[in-house]
Amino acid sequence: MKRTTATIAGLAVAGLLLTSCGRSDDAGAGGEAQSTAIADGKAKGTIEVWAMGTEGEKLGDFVDAFEDANPDADVKVTAVPWESAHDKISTAIAAGKGPDVSLIGTTWMGEFAEAGGLMPTPEGLVDEADYFPGAWQSTEVGGTSYGVPWYVETRVLFYRKDLAKKAGWAEAPTSWDDLKKFAEDLKSKGGAKYGLNLQPGQTGSWQSYLPFAWSDGATLTNDDGTEYTIDSPEMAEALDYYTSYFDDGLSMTRTLDPGELEGGFADGSIGSFISGPWHTGLVEDAGLDDSQYAVAPLPGKDDGMGTSFVGGGDLAVFKDTDNADGAWKFVQWLSQPDVQQDFYDEVGDLPSVQSAWDTGELSTDPQLKVFGEQLKEAQSPPAVPTWEQVAASIDGLVEQASRGDLSGEDAVKQMQSDAQSIGTGL
Amino acid sequence: MSASTGVVDPTRRGQAVAGWILASPFVVLFLVFTAGPVLASLGMSFTDMRSTDLRSPFAVQFVGLDNYVDLVQDPLFRKVTLNTLLYLVLGVPLTMGVALAVAVGLNGLSRSRGFFRVGFYLPVVTSIVAVSVVWKYILRDEGGLLNAALGWVGINGPAWLDSTSTALPSLVVMAAWRNFGTLMVIFLAGLQTVPREQVEAAEVDGASAWSRFRFITLPALRPVLLFGAVITGIGYLQFFEEAFVMTKGGPLDSTRSVTFFTFDQFGYGNYGYAAAASYLLFLAIVLLTFFQFRLLRTKD
Repeated sequence: MKRTTATIAGLAVAGLLLTSCGRSDDAGAGGEAQSTAIADGKAKGTIEVWAMGTEGEKLGDFVDAFEDANPDADVKVTAVPWESAHDKISTAIAAGKGPDVSLIGTTWMGEFAEAGGLMPTPEGLVDEADYFPGAWQSTEVGGTSYGVPWYVETRVLFYRKDLAKKAGWAEAPTSWDDLKKFAEDLKSKGGAKYGLNLQPGQTGSWQSYLPFAWSDGATLTNDDGTEYTIDSPEMAEALDYYTSYFDDGLSMTRTLDPGELEGGFADGSIGSFISGPWHTGLVEDAGLDDSQYAVAPLPGKDDGMGTSFVGGGDLAVFKDTDNADGAWKFVQWLSQPDVQQDFYDEVGDLPSVQSAWDTGELSTDPQLKVFGEQLKEAQSPPAVPTWEQVAASIDGLVEQASRGDLSGEDAVKQMQSDAQSIGTGL
Repeated sequence: MSASTGVVDPTRRGQAVAGWILASPFVVLFLVFTAGPVLASLGMSFTDMRSTDLRSPFAVQFVGLDNYVDLVQDPLFRKVTLNTLLYLVLGVPLTMGVALAVAVGLNGLSRSRGFFRVGFYLPVVTSIVAVSVVWKYILRDEGGLLNAALGWVGINGPAWLDSTSTALPSLVVMAAWRNFGTLMVIFLAGLQTVPREQVEAAEVDGASAWSRFRFITLPALRPVLLFGAVITGIGYLQFFEEAFVMTKGGPLDSTRSVTFFTFDQFGYGNYGYAAAASYLLFLAIVLLTFFQFRLLRTKD
């Protein structure tokens, strides 16, 4: 017995010694230079690509065109489920044995770049100005870009056109005051039980609250992304405006079950809500057509378009790749406007490159045009490794505020102090 | 062959070597896959390791007990600890009480005992996720089964899972419903060991049914009750899935447990902090089990 205890103690000490060798400050993002430009010419060798979801399923056939143009290159696509993607990429980075290119969820960029797993984007690979600015923002960690945006999504206002007409609204509202009036009218004259459905807290509610704050001119961090600037009058004002929808009974105060939102929108009990492009399909599955509902850009605080949230996926090249040249050429190819447009036709992902929206269906479809317009005024959250934790704190405080336990001012003070103690992790 | 003279029997030594060789596959597996990760996670709880340290896991800072000190001061951790204790204190007696009552009732049945035993045990073998989803609909505010039933007798039921005061008790009731089956089967087996002669003798002496239960059945069940309390306590201290599926820890963290907190921290990439939280939970389980053994051990 004594010997066993001694052995365990010995092993524990050994474990401690192994894990306590001191941190060096060289690893990770922050002030890293962009990679040197890649050479001209065609891509060669094997390029291993990981992609998740529908993109992973469809990309395999889609790359034939790239292989035709670059006969010496062989693109191998592996479809990875979204649920396990984060762990798989983490493991690959830890082991130094990943693919050459991977799709990376925009909110993971900070973590993987800081872990030292991603290669900075080469100079002159693509032109930053070609992209929607909010989307490009998601690739920049500590001032260095670690990839390029591949596809995007953004949030707009979905409303029941027929109910709005009944309530005397031929057009969607374009300011905060109008939006409030709009929701009230949908309720009182349009027959909806809830005028505008907003998320009263819980996971992801920061995505519906922050657009209001951004529309009011609030920023989450200072320009170089080193300090949080959440405690501002704009953030507080936006939160008070947001929670007034719960106080006035215009929005449901509990989190909806899956399917409840679409069902409520279809039967007219929910007059409007804010969501992303996937909801056009869901709403139509629920039995509505475009004579009954429409989408509109988020209203700004004063007259004009507000600032929305932009999400989506970025393409990044792993630092351990042995075919950096081929990998970046593949990324470059996927970023060409015509390829982006083809990919939209194939998969339905909205292109991150602005000029891909100038022709074809993307430039004519009235609903898509709304998303295209909104993308020009959209921001992404700071690409810092600790963002998920900061976001969880914001979610919790939005919930407290929407239940009336906290004023907007106190809530954003608390968000700031939480965020400060969590840090940026850079 | 006595060791004090320093002479080792060669046959014995050969046997020892053969023994170690035969045991080595297990020993190696144990060291690599059980002891190794456990010790590594213990070591990790004394460092500031984060997910961004993946490429250089040994280049992290040793921070001593900082993680543990921070945890004790973290208001959220205090809240989840309180939630977990509440869950334990409400859940274990409720589950054991229901299980004992049902077991005693079934023990008195001569027919269709098997049917009820299977019926009450079914929730245990059903997927917790499926059970949670169904209960979520039972407890719903509008159109929930429970509130509809309450409506018939004129009670306007609350939104059970959306109120900070009823969400956790609702989960406790669900957990008791789901878990009492296991204890019931164990208690039923325990009831078979109660000496029949003693019960009959007491009956002849004129002891009431309650007295027979209180002074003969319960003392005889003591070891079984201890076992039940220990496994239920360990299970309830680690509660997670119910809250994860039904409430996501809300409203306002009122159903977030220590395990849920640890899960979140691992998700945020705070590996050192999360490891420390799980070792505090481990410590709590050890202490709880120790006190249960002290309290319920057989007294001669």
